[in-house]
Parts: sequence; structure tokens; C-alpha cells
Amino acid sequence: MDINLTPILTSWPFLLKALGMTIFVSVMSTALGFVIGTLVGALRTYGGRMTNVVLGFYVDSMRAIPLLVILVWTFFAFPLLIGASINAVTAGIAGLGLHLGAYVSETIRAGLTSVRRNQMQAGLALGMSRFQAIRTIILPQAIIRMLPALGSLFVIAIKDSAIASVIAVPELLRQTQIVAGKTFRPFELYTAAMLAYFILCYPVARGVDRLYRRLSHLGSS
Amino acid sequence: MTAAPILVFENVVKRYGALTALAGVSLTLHRGEVVCLIGPSGSGKSTLLRCANALDPLDQGRISFDGHEVRSSETSVRLVRQRMGMVFQNFELFPHLTVLRNVTIGPTTVLKLGQAEADARARKLLAKVGLADKETSHPSALSGGQQQRVAIARALAMEPALMLFDEPTSALDPETIGEVLSVMKTLADEGMTMLVVTHEMDFARRVANRVAVFDKGRVIEEGTPQEIFTAPKVPRTRDFLSHLGWHGESK
Ligand SMILES: Nc1ncnc2c1ncn2[C@@H]1O[C@H](COP(=O)(O)OP(=O)(O)OP(=O)(O)O)[C@@H](O)[C@H]1O
Ligand SMILES: [Mg+2]
Repeated sequence: MDINLTPILTSWPFLLKALGMTIFVSVMSTALGFVIGTLVGALRTYGGRMTNVVLGFYVDSMRAIPLLVILVWTFFAFPLLIGASINAVTAGIAGLGLHLGAYVSETIRAGLTSVRRNQMQAGLALGMSRFQAIRTIILPQAIIRMLPALGSLFVIAIKDSAIASVIAVPELLRQTQIVAGKTFRPFELYTAAMLAYFILCYPVARGVDRLYRRLSHLGSS
Repeated sequence: MTAAPILVFENVVKRYGALTALAGVSLTLHRGEVVCLIGPSGSGKSTLLRCANALDPLDQGRISFDGHEVRSSETSVRLVRQRMGMVFQNFELFPHLTVLRNVTIGPTTVLKLGQAEADARARKLLAKVGLADKETSHPSALSGGQQQRVAIARALAMEPALMLFDEPTSALDPETIGEVLSVMKTLADEGMTMLVVTHEMDFARRVANRVAVFDKGRVIEEGTPQEIFTAPKVPRTRDFLSHLGWHGESK
């Protein structure tokens, strides 16, 4: 097999822009997913029974439906429901974020319940509201304890952004497909894309691991 | 004791399902007084402290603090808790915060004190409990006795009118018990009102104004340390004390 790097050398600005989009979509959907997940996880842990049931339904449905289907539905079906079109990037971030939020919420919930009950009592005894105690005492410990799991979810979010290629989000995989189709050099292009994902995700995974090793002692009460 | 009452328990009943943890407790603390609670495990001492600052709701009876009933409506309860310091058996320091932040977090989040003012207050208290040099450490780097002294400073940072101690030394190594008790003794000498659950009979004898003996959710005997330790009237008190004495000798 002969290797021809010319397509990569000529279209690298196009692919670099695509990589930028991958990073943008990953970061935005992770931010959305972490905000949703933290809220849902805390509300399910400390809220009433009804809250728990309703939010539990959200979590279970996100886990029961393939991400691909969620993205396709958000982009192609949801606009018909509301009678307005939404752009692919917005739909992609929303779908990825909602899906990720379910998994983040379960992780946060496990973290919150693992902090022992007396920590809450110590906060309340100082005169804090439950909300203040959760925000300043319980949640920080829960997040530290759950760093490895949350880090994995972040890496998964980066990788899952590639699925948004099916709704034409101009991210790395989608744009690589376009160049590969035009130049008939799939081997070089897909290999380059694979390497790019690895180079993006590997340091994140290692970084979270190092962070956890530095912080883990702060999470054990 | 002629000082005004500050914390009054009137016929307090607390149940956990079928179990009656407090079966009608009446007890009064006056301003500046140190009252020690002693009694066997499971007799309801911790429950009484948790009821005092409404961490647990009552089933019957009434608790009043500084003339106001301790109710379970959110804001008034929070005001009561701000003015009642609590020290736990297992310290319950916040592991993710430095020693200094453990002490300032109450004043900054609850009293809305500025960080600089809170820091100054915390440093004074850390010096008072002998830990001025530890402010940047995290709790995991401290001994049990040091952690408990930070916990005392944390409670004092709210400038409470009363301190509740729940067996503050029973999780400690024998060699660090003394440093915690001496901080508590200093507090008592300064006139702090204190309700102390303890198995340290020496401390009770030297520091308490009154001792209340708990058994099965009731105060079975109450008196000066003199009365309780030298001439207990109730047989159950005598049993309990001799049981402790026996423990003391067996160590
Ligand atoms: N949250 C709870 N739920 C159910 N039962 C409880 C709860 N807290 C305490 N109890 C029960 O209430 C009784 C009194 O407990 P409490 O902790 O007040 O005793 P104590 O005098 O502090 O004992 P110890 O010396 O062991 O600390 C015990 O039988 C205990 O099992
Ligand atoms: Mg107890």
C-alpha cells in the first residue's frame, strides 16, 4: 500500500478548523452536562419523592435511548415539534449535554451519598442552610471523590462528539469524511483523525488522574 | 445559681420509631454554667444535644434557648444554631478546607463576614487553642487532638452563647485527651456556658458546676459533682460510676 500525505497537507487548515469544532462541541456539551448533572444529582439526593421520580425518569430515558437516536431526534424531529429549525451545532451540544447529564447526575448522586451524614450536621450546626451546606461542604467532597469517574465522562464526551457527525456538525470526523471522499485517500485521513482523537483525549485522562492523586486526601471525611 | 437560665429542656420526649430515646427530660442550664452529662451508652445523651439545636425534631415537650422556643421553622432554628456551638465526637472537620478555612467558613457563609475580618477572628482563635502554626494544613495532616481543637475554634468563631460538646475526647488517643480538656477548661474559666457529654470523670469533677446522670432516656440524678461522685443517691448511678471506675483500673 502506498501512502500519500498530500491530501492532509493541502487540507490541514480545513481539518484544523474541524478539530476546533470538536473541542468546542466537547467543552460546551461537557459544561452543559455537568451543570445539568450536578443539579439533577443534588435534587434527586436532597429533594422530595416527586422530584426524585420525575428526574429519575429523565435519567433512565437518557440511559435507555442510544445517543445516536437522541441526536438525530433533536436535530430532525424536535424542530418539527416546535415549528422552528435549530442549527446542527446547537442541536449537537444540546443532545450530547442532555445525554451526558444523566450519567453525571448518577455519579454526583453516588458522591453526595458517600459523604457521611455528620458532615451535613456539622454544617447545619454552624447555622448554615441545607443549600449552603451542600454547596460549601458536601458537593466539593463529592466532586473530589468522584474525580476519576467524572474525568472518564469528560473523555467520553469528547469521543461522543464524533457521533454528532451524523447531523452534519462540522466536527473532525464529519470533515475528515468529506476530505476522504473527495481525495479517495481514506486510509491517511481516517488514520490522522484517529491520532487526533487520541492526542486530544489521552492527556485529559492522564491529567485527571494526576489531579485526583493530588486531591484525593481532601475528599475523605 | 442565681444567673438567668439560658437553655431549658422541659419534659422532652424523642422517639425513633418504637424506640424512646428521650423519655421526658427536664434540665436547665444557667448562663456561665458548665453541666456535664454522664450515663451509659445508648441512654440518649447525644440525642439530647441534637435536639437542643434542632438537628433532631422533638416529639413532645419544649426546649427554649435564651427565652425563645427552639422551633423547627427554618430561619429561627438557624439563628439558634448560630448561637450554639457544637463539637462532635469525630470532629467532623471539613477535609477539603484548610484549618483556617474550616474556622472561617461559618462566619463567611452564615454571618456574611468579610474574608479579612473572618481570617483575623480565626487566627485569634487558632492561637487560643494552640494551633496558630497550622492554619495552612489540611485536617488529614493533624492528630486527633489537634483536629478537635480546630473543631472547637470553628464553633467559637460564630461567637456562640453556649457550647455543646458530645464526647469530645472519646475518639482520641490518651496522650492527646489532655490538650483538648485543657482548652475546654480555659473556656469554662472564661465563663462560657457549656453542656458536655463526657466519660472523663476527672474533668466533670473539676470543671462542672453540676452533673446530670442519664439512663434510658431520663435524668435519673442531678447534683453538684461532689454530690454525684461522693454520695450518689440513686443505685443506678453508683453502678454506672463503679463500672467506669472498673474500666479505669483495667486500662
Ligand atoms: N437517628 C437515629 N435513628 C434511630 N435510632 C437512633 C438514632 N439516633 C439514636 N438512636 C437510638 O437512640 C438511643 C439513644 O442514642 P444516643 O446516641 O443519644 O445515646 P448516647 O447516650 O449518646 O450513647 P453513646 O454513649 O453510645 O454515644 C440509642 O438506642 C440509639 O440507638
Ligand atoms: Mg452519644
